[in-house]
Amino acid sequence: MEGARANDREDAGLEYLAALRQRFRIATEARGTNESRIEIGGLSLRLRFAGPALAEVLLPPFEHLVAEESGEPDMAIDVFDVESTGVKPPPLPWPVPEASPGTQPVVRWSSEDACVLAAAGSGALTAAAPASGEALFCLRSVASVPLSERAAPLRDALQMLTSSRRLWMTHAGAVGRNGAGVLLAGRGGSGKSTLAVSCALAGMEFVADDYLLLESGPPPVAHAMQSTAKLTADSAARLGLGREAIDRAGFEPTLEGPYKALVEVGALAPGLVRRQLRIGALVGLSVAAVARPELRPVGPASGLRALAPSTIMQMRSRSATLLGALRELVGAVPSYELRLCPDPGANAAVIAGLVDEVG
Amino acid sequence: MSEPRFRIAAEIVHETVDGEVIAIDLGNGSYYSLAGSGPAIWELLGEGASEAQLGEALAGRFEGDRATIEAEVTRLLGELRENGLIAEAEDAGRAAAEAGPPAAEREPFEAPRLERYTDMKDYFLLDPIHEVNPAAGWPRPAA
Repeated sequence: MEGARANDREDAGLEYLAALRQRFRIATEARGTNESRIEIGGLSLRLRFAGPALAEVLLPPFEHLVAEESGEPDMAIDVFDVESTGVKPPPLPWPVPEASPGTQPVVRWSSEDACVLAAAGSGALTAAAPASGEALFCLRSVASVPLSERAAPLRDALQMLTSSRRLWMTHAGAVGRNGAGVLLAGRGGSGKSTLAVSCALAGMEFVADDYLLLESGPPPVAHAMQSTAKLTADSAARLGLGREAIDRAGFEPTLEGPYKALVEVGALAPGLVRRQLRIGALVGLSVAAVARPELRPVGPASGLRALAPSTIMQMRSRSATLLGALRELVGAVPSYELRLCPDPGANAAVIAGLVDEVG
Repeated sequence: MSEPRFRIAAEIVHETVDGEVIAIDLGNGSYYSLAGSGPAIWELLGEGASEAQLGEALAGRFEGDRATIEAEVTRLLGELRENGLIAEAEDAGRAAAEAGPPAAEREPFEAPRLERYTDMKDYFLLDPIHEVNPAAGWPRPAA
């Protein structure tokens, strides 16, 4: 991280990052520093929060990854909010477009050594220097943390830092048994979260319902990020989850449409949240009007079509290399297509059978 | 005037797996599957081939009526251009017709098939990323 500072004058992105880092220091002087260490994808990550407010919201989903370390971390993310610290980020050198209702445009500026993302609507600001492993994240207020951020905290920063370490943030779930499992792929609304949670409720190991870090291997490995899942009211009801299982913020609108709420998978399935699973198959999901779940093998191209578009469109950085990593995955493990029926238990049983077969 | 050569458009990321090209348009969220003889054509387009070079290369590689092969190449090029998957190359390119396998070993020609998927497009429009182009000067979003 010291190397990045030496080059600040030569790289406008790094200059902005340095200015934001200075604001973070001022914020910590005002509110103190909350520091945590986690291990994610086999890498050590230092998280520092200016004051307790954002830490209380963004840290719990990483509880299963907490590590006891004190040396120099592989990656570091510093976080502050404007409202509780009274410190504003430096002005952006470009305009952020107004967000039309139901959209969340993002302005991205990439220099050689840094990338800055500014989201309209939420006002979230992420700046990262991937090579040096440093990122900063700033929000307007704790009250303005959107559901997407609480569900997958620090997603942009983590994606930028980990992709330069060949860990690919992938839009998929992962469940398994005895350390071996399958990836659950599909666009939003394809049933990933409901299936991943129903597998955990059925006693399977859980790594992710929506986003994970993929190490393409061999062997391919899915690494956990957050331990929360996002469910619709219909899914929660079909899984038999009572109000006590639902995050107190309740069901909130999402960018993609349906109202969803967070559930803490570690609380629903104690001892079953894992940091990683070796991946033995890829399953592309779709919700279908079928009485029983239908699983069938498909070719690697179908697997890539199920996994790659939503992953690439959401990550949208280092896209060609990311697609190459996903291509490696479908070349290494068999792909399947699963048409989901309305019965979560029946769907989970099919996945359990497949895990036993490929594990 | 020399015949135009083509290149894969800058907004497209692609991989070929199991005889099928998967191409994703980062500019609008559409993605595509290209099968049949499509991957062979795509590979040559990646090297800056012209339409005539494509026809010649495919006729040397596959068993089939040359006029049919050339007509299929023309049709696919139209589809690829219409969908923004390829553009005219500015440089000379590297593609040259290589000698194909002996006639007895050539595979039968299969017409290229392009399929377009737009189910990610809604997501793309909900969460667009505006790239700032430093070459054009701040604050100017990239075209």
